[in-house]
Amino acid sequence: MGAASLEQSLSHVTLAAFFPQDQTKPPAAPSIGDLGFPEAQTKPDPLAQARLDKRTHMLKIHQRLGLITTVPLIATVITGGMAGGHQTSSTSRDLHAALGSVTAGLYLTTAYYSVFAPKVAGATTRGPIRLHKTLAWIHGPGMILTPVLGAMAFEQKSRGEKVHGIASAHGAVAIVTAGAYGLAIAAVSFKF
Amino acid sequence: MRNKLALSLFFALAALVCAADQQWVLQESTLSYHVSHPLHQTEGVSHAARGKGVCHDGQCDFLIAAPVKSFDSGDSNRDLHMLQATHGAQFPLVSVRAKLPESALTSPSIHLDLEIQFAGQTVQYKQIPFQVTTQGSASRISGTIPATLADFKIDPPSLLSIAVKNEIPVRVDMTWRPQ
Repeated sequence: MGAASLEQSLSHVTLAAFFPQDQTKPPAAPSIGDLGFPEAQTKPDPLAQARLDKRTHMLKIHQRLGLITTVPLIATVITGGMAGGHQTSSTSRDLHAALGSVTAGLYLTTAYYSVFAPKVAGATTRGPIRLHKTLAWIHGPGMILTPVLGAMAFEQKSRGEKVHGIASAHGAVAIVTAGAYGLAIAAVSFKF
Repeated sequence: MRNKLALSLFFALAALVCAADQQWVLQESTLSYHVSHPLHQTEGVSHAARGKGVCHDGQCDFLIAAPVKSFDSGDSNRDLHMLQATHGAQFPLVSVRAKLPESALTSPSIHLDLEIQFAGQTVQYKQIPFQVTTQGSASRISGTIPATLADFKIDPPSLLSIAVKNEIPVRVDMTWRPQ
């Protein structure tokens, strides 16, 4: 090998060392893959989305029915004042009982849409929704107990008896139930 | 031969100068969206964003992304509704791309053209003002993106049959450091 060709070879080696191909290219703009998110956080999950959609749909119905239920609930509480005394007529008792039945029916339907809405795995309950859910442990049993006690009181009054025994707790249980129900709505409607 | 070696050295140095690209990494961040309802003012906050910036030939490309479900409003039920309304399981990340001149990183204020991918939509926001504060080698960039629900074709969620406002301004506060 002559001196000239050695010189040429050396210069090629030098240039090749300093100009590797990927260094002459401008670096690519960053991509999501560069950020190092775990795959679980970046992968679309159509099934999870479908569950969320169904959950929201059911909870929207729960919200609407819950608000609608307040109308017969308030009417039942108001007519309750006219159904329990000595001077009450059977008509006012019938009206109160009918409104109470509508309230209980709507309430149970409302509860169904909450209880059977799909649950989201790993989601913990935080914030005002906790109070909303906790209060269900008061108004839920109350909404079952109130009509039962009301029916007992209704029977006793219909027989011309004074309301007595456990049936006499109907009014108090109803007030606590209605109060817990109103508070449950307020808990998720207003910022305290 | 000396001339050729000198020439080789010159090109090598030139290549090194050109290849001196600056890379930035997102050190910490706070992203928060604001939702207005007559009965509620809500902030959803995420500190889970990750980001990278690459500067070459005086031009920088930045990318920031955060999992949609990392936004916390303090109410798990509201967060799940947000995740549903924004199709967060189908499109789990919100990402923001920005291009800017490298010199802008040392300016006290910059106007950025942003491309945001969120809820399956890609939306451009032009000339959004941001403040830049330099803290040692790090740069803190903060500003507010005037996002709306309509931009991303999101049906406004409602409470008591009253929909939230269309405007959901997103406050961005990021600290970047060179890599």
